[in-house]
Amino acid sequence: MDIFTIAVWIITAGFLIFSFVKDKSKTKEALKSALGMGKGMLISILSIIFAIGLLLTIFTPESIAAFVEKQNVLVATISAAILGTVTLVPAFIAFPLVGTLISGGVGIIPSVAFLTTLTMVGVVTFPLEIKAFGKKFTFVRNGLSFIFAIVIALVMGVII
Amino acid sequence: MTKVIKKIRENLFLVFIILCYAVILIIKPQTGFDAVKNSGYYIKEMLMIMPVIFVLTALLDIWVPKQTIMKYLGQESKFKGIFLSFALGAISAGPVYAAFPICIMLHKKGASIRNIVIILSSWAVIKIPMLINELKFLGPKFMLVRWVLTVFAILIFSWIASKIVKDEDLPKKIKEVKTGLSINKDACMGCTLCTQEYKELFEMSNKKAIIKEHSFEPDKERLKKAIDRCPVNAIEFGEE
Repeated sequence: MDIFTIAVWIITAGFLIFSFVKDKSKTKEALKSALGMGKGMLISILSIIFAIGLLLTIFTPESIAAFVEKQNVLVATISAAILGTVTLVPAFIAFPLVGTLISGGVGIIPSVAFLTTLTMVGVVTFPLEIKAFGKKFTFVRNGLSFIFAIVIALVMGVII
Repeated sequence: MTKVIKKIRENLFLVFIILCYAVILIIKPQTGFDAVKNSGYYIKEMLMIMPVIFVLTALLDIWVPKQTIMKYLGQESKFKGIFLSFALGAISAGPVYAAFPICIMLHKKGASIRNIVIILSSWAVIKIPMLINELKFLGPKFMLVRWVLTVFAILIFSWIASKIVKDEDLPKKIKEVKTGLSINKDACMGCTLCTQEYKELFEMSNKKAIIKEHSFEPDKERLKKAIDRCPVNAIEFGEE
């Protein structure tokens, strides 16, 4: 384990003890619900991880990087943003995945575009959103999120 | 037998992945082993950080008074409302569609379109436990820069959205007051908490909670507890 992970564990343990001292039954509830959340998501998370493992073996990060490099930055970024829009990967797998891609040599700009649309724009949740908020709201929100995901990515490319 | 079919249907994606692996392990064993090894890396990383994220999310959920935030959000539309919207999104648990019913409720109570866009967006991208994850895998500079840029972006495009979309554009459902017990299927994220709390009344079907056939009068205390524990407020109970 790296130092960072150890630190997070220690801080969380600290919060947990503090919470336990303050309210025993409430904390037990919290732990139970944490376990429930984890159990509920475990199978879908494992399936996605094995899918990613397979994809990254067939298309290695290096080959993806080489492919992306040959494209125009804007085209690559928009494609990455579209890819992020249509796929459904839980955020906490997305971060190590993007980490692997970046260390494999994939540029920051397309990687950030992918990461941002992945969480903020959702084709899969589209029908649900339309049902809740109506077509206009859904199209405007997702459209703006998509455009700004690309803007965020481009600005990040300049800063980092 | 039907049980097996049901299980397969519920986990179609997993079955598909297992089949892919089986095929690859037969055709190209080496590639198959590499793929398992690659997946192993992610599983190891996930196991190291996931329990902490879940525990932190649950602790935030019980100690930060969400109800209070929601109470003020409806009335405040200026700076404070914007801040509260960001806060609500950043501390909440669950996928973004879990935020839909909460936002509908807030909109009815007077929250502006702009604040609803802010809640949905920050719910999706700037969750506090997720920031820890980002810090770990992508480094402090990456996390910080992306976080600041995202907050600014949300501030700008929520303003644009509020200029285009008006309150009247949202579907007006005059909700009939339902009596009895119901579960909002769109909101349920299958966390199984209600089934743990009141297993005689709730059960899981196709990864969603449903109400069991029952002939008894539900115990008010236990039902209330189950309703309160639902992280997405999907259980509704209208008294006659």
